[in-house]
Amino acid sequence: MKTALSLADILARPDVWCADRLAPSPLPTLASGFAPLDGELPGGGWPRATLAEILVDGSGLGECSLVLPALGRLRSEGRWSLLIAPPHRVNGPAWAAHGVDLTRLAVVAPARPRDALWAAEQALASGALGSLLLWAPCVDAAQVRRLQVAAAGSNTVAFLFRPARAQSESSAAGLRLLLSAAARGSLAVNLLKRRGPPCTRTLIIEPQRPLCENDKSHEFHDSGPAVAGFASAVSGARSQRTLAFA
Amino acid sequence: MHLPYLALEANAPLPSPSAVVEHGRILLADQAASEAGVTQGVGVAAARMLAPTIALLMREPAREAAALQRLACWAGGLTPKISLTADTLLLEIGSCLRLFGGVRNIVRAAAKGVREQGFSLTCAVAPTPLGAQWLAQTAKSACCLDAESLHRHLAGLPISVLPDKAAQALARFGARTLGGVRRLPSAALARRIGAPALQLMARAFGEIADPRPAFVFPEQFALVLQLPAAVDNAGALLFAARRLTAALAGWLSARQAGVRAMALHLRQRQGETLLSLEFAELTADEERFERVLRERLNTLTLNSPVESLALVATTVAALAGRSQTLFDDASSGNEAIAPLLERLCARLGEEQVYRVVAHADHRPECATRRTGPFDKSAKVGQPAPGTGQGLARPLWLLDAPESLREVDGRPFRGGPLQLLAGPERIESGWWDGGEQQGDLRRDYFIALASDARWLWIYRECRSPAHWYLHGVFA
Repeated sequence: MKTALSLADILARPDVWCADRLAPSPLPTLASGFAPLDGELPGGGWPRATLAEILVDGSGLGECSLVLPALGRLRSEGRWSLLIAPPHRVNGPAWAAHGVDLTRLAVVAPARPRDALWAAEQALASGALGSLLLWAPCVDAAQVRRLQVAAAGSNTVAFLFRPARAQSESSAAGLRLLLSAAARGSLAVNLLKRRGPPCTRTLIIEPQRPLCENDKSHEFHDSGPAVAGFASAVSGARSQRTLAFA
Repeated sequence: MHLPYLALEANAPLPSPSAVVEHGRILLADQAASEAGVTQGVGVAAARMLAPTIALLMREPAREAAALQRLACWAGGLTPKISLTADTLLLEIGSCLRLFGGVRNIVRAAAKGVREQGFSLTCAVAPTPLGAQWLAQTAKSACCLDAESLHRHLAGLPISVLPDKAAQALARFGARTLGGVRRLPSAALARRIGAPALQLMARAFGEIADPRPAFVFPEQFALVLQLPAAVDNAGALLFAARRLTAALAGWLSARQAGVRAMALHLRQRQGETLLSLEFAELTADEERFERVLRERLNTLTLNSPVESLALVATTVAALAGRSQTLFDDASSGNEAIAPLLERLCARLGEEQVYRVVAHADHRPECATRRTGPFDKSAKVGQPAPGTGQGLARPLWLLDAPESLREVDGRPFRGGPLQLLAGPERIESGWWDGGEQQGDLRRDYFIALASDARWLWIYRECRSPAHWYLHGVFA
């Protein structure tokens, strides 16, 4: 007579996968530095060997601040980072202040978008980089698939920044995040796609902002009659600021 | 290694059918021409009749010698002891057997390398150089590793390997093979065919020593390759340049050196084009040369066909040996970044691939300098003293400051901007004249736009005091 198997035994078998479990990642992930985000990412951090797509409109919302703590962690490994087609000029001292090693940072700013995608593919295929950041405003699904395939063969942490309107397109990237501004200077992160069950809640992340909460030393004050017109704006800004970062 | 078709293959690439002419008669013909009936000794007019499209070339011993020299340089990657004769390359491989893992491997590698460069060869291995030469010339690819098998193989060789006079004399005696000649009494033989022929045989059989002059690797690497016809096709140029890079790789291997910069001169009828290739570090890897060369040749435009190529290694230095890592750890990726950056530079150009370094200047535009990706001499720049006390700096700087409208006394960009921190006065660059040239007097603010972007804006202190957007906090 067969003994009845309990449900718990079946679920404990290694060849049974529960749909609410996040997929384990074969390579060690890179902790992002934000606890709510790490809790929702498979493996507990940014995945290697997978393309992570970050959808954000324009620049200035804090998308780089989301990624920079992880890049600073790569400094101890001594590996290179590559920026391809950045939207503006790199301000060296600011990147250094965020913990990125400038001696191991290279920038590729090609004139044509096609060259940027070629450079990204070559960089991923070589496996020589620790991290890659690529800005591609117009890229189609086939090119994203090629980048994902190239990333799968290396242990680079690869980020692709695209405009937010691409959220309705299908993409072969292993991880997709949609960023938008939330109240009081924080960032609302929607995990559109990850290796595991879909994430239903919106995460609120507080990236590092240029002003900290109790930073009174840089309070805005008017500097004389030339800016007299700002008086009302000043008081409004100051009171708003104390509320904003409470 | 014997190259029977050297006179033909020294001129490459060649259209087929083709043949080499000496003294008005065909000396060597390639496969297609000999199928048409053009064989050795046929006159030029007869050859043209048999194969109208045949390409005929005069025999040039200088070109053959140059080709053999290039091959000898390439063979430096296999063994440092090389000797040359008119159409044979002798490599002393006894000392390199263990590195290559046996005779078969080294012979296979050598044959493959020579065939890749477009030469056809027959090779043989023997304990004596003359024995190996004779065995290769008679196309017996024999592999004799000791004296006994050498004697056996040499005994079967026809007497045509000996000089002509001796061979004719021996034919009258009825000796057909070297084995038969050895059985004749030596004193009488010496009187009839002369001592030199006997000495040759003794050298081949290993009874007396046979010192050969060693091929001396040139001190500076500068080889010229004459193209038989003017070429304007990047693919054909790459094929021809591959011979030169193979020779360079072998020469570097023989001298245990690496190259950091080399120049390829493309000589045309009028003028010369120069391609200079630079590498991030000393390298002796032939594939890297070829990759970078391919990218550069693809983007090159020539105004007239190229007649000859010359490769000169400009910066050569001794290459330190590198030990393999026992475990595959992250540090092994550091060596792979240099070929990647080289490839990107070769395809996109030097100004599109760069590194940034901080510079001590209060002016934000000048605080970041660009350097070449391989520039190791650039010191790690320090930020200007005192910037730590100022406002935080943005990650991105606009290429040119964007002028902002002023509405109701407030800067406006898609909505009124809310000033959160500042002003931070930056005044610097008084040695340059005027705001445009770099004499700055600005008040910087951190502003929040209505679409929740964080911006770095400034207001000029001089009149007219306009507002500008200079950076973005990402």
